[in-house]
Amino acid sequence: MAELTFTPVIGIEIHIRLKSDSKLFCSCSTNTDAPANTNICPVCMGLPGTLPHMNHRVVEQGMRAGFALNCGIRPKSLFFRKSYFYPDLPKGHQISQCDLPITTSGYIEVHDADGNLKKIRVHHLHLEEDVGSLHHSASDGRLEGADTSYVDYNRSGTPLAEIVSEPDVSSSAEAVEYVMTLRRRVIYSGASDVELEKGMMRFDANVSMKCSDGRWGHKVEVKNMNSFKALERAIEYEIVRQKKIMLQGGEVIQETRHWNDAKGITSSSRVKENYRKFIVEPDLPPLYIDQEWIDKVAATMPEMPDVRANRYVKDWGVSQEVADVLTDDRNLADYFEDCVKAGANPVRTANWVRTEVLRVLNEKGVKISDFTMKPETLAGIVSRVDGKKLSTTQGKEVFDWICANNGGIDEAVKALGITEGGIAGNALADVIASVIAANPDVIDEIKSGKDKKGKKLKFLQGLVMKETKGQAKPQEVSEAIEKALN
Amino acid sequence: MELYELNLLMMTEGLKAKKFSASEIFESCKKRIDACEPSIHALITRTDDTMPTFNENGALAGIPTVIKDNLCTKGLRTTAASKILGNWRPPYDATAWSKLKDAGSILMGKANMDEFAMGNTCGNSAFGPTMNPNDTSLVPGGSSGGSAAAVSAGYVPFSLGSDTGGSIRQPASFCGVYGLKPTYGMVSRYGLISYGSSLDQIGPFARTVRDLQLVMSVISGHDNMDSSSFSDRPHDFSYNEKASVKGKKVALVKEFADFTLDAPIADAMKRTAKILEDEGAVITEVSLPVVSKYAVACYYALAMSEAHTNLERYDGVRLGYTVKDARGIKEMFERVRSHGFGAEVKARIIAGTCLTEPTRCEEYYVAATKVRTLIAQEFTRAFGETDYILQPVTPSMPGKVGEVDDDAMKGYEADLYTLPVNLAGLPGLSFFTGYAGNLPVGLQLIGKRWSDSELLDTGIILENHLGSPRIANGGVK
Repeated sequence: MAELTFTPVIGIEIHIRLKSDSKLFCSCSTNTDAPANTNICPVCMGLPGTLPHMNHRVVEQGMRAGFALNCGIRPKSLFFRKSYFYPDLPKGHQISQCDLPITTSGYIEVHDADGNLKKIRVHHLHLEEDVGSLHHSASDGRLEGADTSYVDYNRSGTPLAEIVSEPDVSSSAEAVEYVMTLRRRVIYSGASDVELEKGMMRFDANVSMKCSDGRWGHKVEVKNMNSFKALERAIEYEIVRQKKIMLQGGEVIQETRHWNDAKGITSSSRVKENYRKFIVEPDLPPLYIDQEWIDKVAATMPEMPDVRANRYVKDWGVSQEVADVLTDDRNLADYFEDCVKAGANPVRTANWVRTEVLRVLNEKGVKISDFTMKPETLAGIVSRVDGKKLSTTQGKEVFDWICANNGGIDEAVKALGITEGGIAGNALADVIASVIAANPDVIDEIKSGKDKKGKKLKFLQGLVMKETKGQAKPQEVSEAIEKALN
Repeated sequence: MELYELNLLMMTEGLKAKKFSASEIFESCKKRIDACEPSIHALITRTDDTMPTFNENGALAGIPTVIKDNLCTKGLRTTAASKILGNWRPPYDATAWSKLKDAGSILMGKANMDEFAMGNTCGNSAFGPTMNPNDTSLVPGGSSGGSAAAVSAGYVPFSLGSDTGGSIRQPASFCGVYGLKPTYGMVSRYGLISYGSSLDQIGPFARTVRDLQLVMSVISGHDNMDSSSFSDRPHDFSYNEKASVKGKKVALVKEFADFTLDAPIADAMKRTAKILEDEGAVITEVSLPVVSKYAVACYYALAMSEAHTNLERYDGVRLGYTVKDARGIKEMFERVRSHGFGAEVKARIIAGTCLTEPTRCEEYYVAATKVRTLIAQEFTRAFGETDYILQPVTPSMPGKVGEVDDDAMKGYEADLYTLPVNLAGLPGLSFFTGYAGNLPVGLQLIGKRWSDSELLDTGIILENHLGSPRIANGGVK
């Protein structure tokens, strides 16, 4: 009997905090780091009598995020009330576009197991408001059993985009590439900063298994993943768990499971999911977006990172790996392109940015936007090294000096005592003459033939290199010393 | 004549001419409230202890008013006549109230109502019922019963109420005052504690139609805080001397012709039609088959669906009534909501929950939204054939206070004349036609969307013929 094989069928739901100074339905600040309950108003507190009103800037952010996922924009979308009771949900319902979202479908490309490009279809992106956050005094941090719970509504009403994929993902690796690519594209679009450590991106995964004998297991919704690693591990865990059940002839139960990151397992959510009802939000008119508005926002969209990387590879011959690193951050790629615009060789500039610039950013713990060296300056260093006016070592010294002192290249060269083009000919002869004059004992030894292994000659060469600060070519130095001694 | 007996226009003109002072008005109204309130109970909260400062240059400078207690007042208890709001003091003012305040109006109190505006007797109040100032054994109507009674009894020359399915027009008719339910979107709902958001509209009560105009000119207009308030064009509510109904069409609804009406109401219909005809209007007929068959079911499906989500926010976490000793959040929610809401509100929450429950949602809630579209289209067609629709406000005269009708559906059907107006977002004027014995008899004139000012112009013509209501006895022996 042929061995059974299993194909995972995975869909991913992602919540992303959209970048906006003010909340979705009121003008409160979105700064959730402020002291608890300081960025709140009657509207985002859901006080009786208050009504939501649409923040049109957030609509544009939603459109940008949609464009980044190759989605179209719907000319008319609606908001709904998604009802459930929880202390962090002030109105007892969340205002969400769940049933008629702002975007149509789109896709993200990832690499499958064979390295071929594969499209993961995005079903839609919709806008919704976030809830407040709970703080429990119980030791395990859970709501049930806590002595006291506190609610901070600073986050209540901050704008979210929910992105729902089709079940096109077949492995945890594809899942991770999907969310990473998606994240990078959304950051590029300017729609969100997607800072993972600040909880700006949260994942749920729907996992089921298709068996080669024709059986198809039930769908399991896994919740509570807040990092790429957690998403990967949770999917891996579910694949193994479901496969085991199906191999034993059992049936996977359709349910919601909770990812426990500390234990590395999923467990059945004992709390039965509150069934949710939707009615049209009567306090908000339909959201109409005309072509003119779509075009206006589309015109602000930058080139997407993967497209950009492919251009570096195709047009400039940059390696795929380096191109991926450079385009990971929109500002870094902009910096790189500015250097190339200033006349530097693209391949060599790419390497400089990748190794030297990123090294300095890492050391200083800053972002490229805080990097003080102008692209023209880096382009100048690269060009001078290219034109052999500076050795690679000198180029790096100049780079470091400028990073530390904020000067120009010429200033750096002067301060470092570098002679561009190196020390040779008469200038070198002068240095050698002074070294010989200062070391009569050594000269005598060499001349008397005691230096059979050439150690003393090497010693003289070292002194000359030191005097010239390494700016002379070693071959020329040794030839010139021999010539001077003879 | 006492100062409290003056209508709004006479008060503003007298104050301008310095015939009397604002504090004399205030004291007179306060005395009237002191005299009537024990037998009428129109107010949940009184705020007439001392006279506040006010904008002396405003259009309503020094004019006392009361507003329904579902309108938020900053720092002042706002209850929606429900126990669940406890002693909540809103941190903000409703837009309509803040416009009145800016215009110089003085708040005398917050008016009683049916809890969360659910009811048509003013008997579903956690603070007890309000009595009809014309006959204290009768209901004042609802849900804005306190607002209507306060104007009828002469507490104040005008007041604000809200109308979701007739809650301004029906108590206006029962108490013998004028009441306008404006076009949906004419007055900002910001700060109005929601019942059925797509149906709710704030409007005024007064003892003359001109006074309604004065109030509308202050409270109408676009508000950024309410996405459903419109600013398509400015609305002029000033008095129009040249207004006439000559050549205008006034229609009766064909499908309502066979319905039984109490004799005084049927009589009022005939007299009013005759007056309009004599003024040069053409009395005609329109057919509203969908309205007559489905409006009541459609209305309650939508109102309850919206209401149950509007009332989800009352969970005892942030404000109002709460319990301190619940074990866990689930028990807290259950106890707060079980004890905090009154019976009628709970019935409507349960109905709304069922109507929108996933397996039934298509059949009820979604179907109702489609019927609503048909109803709006039917009115649009009708208003292609006529300028106004004339009809009763209710089929019967007010009932006894505390009288419980075992057939709840009868109460719902009494709303057939009023609630289609809300479904279609139309303006409806409840006007006084005269007295049957001690009791006032009101009727309703409905216009097309945004025709509110023309509707009031026509209301003035009717008032000129039918006469204005007198101030009710107010239970004073």
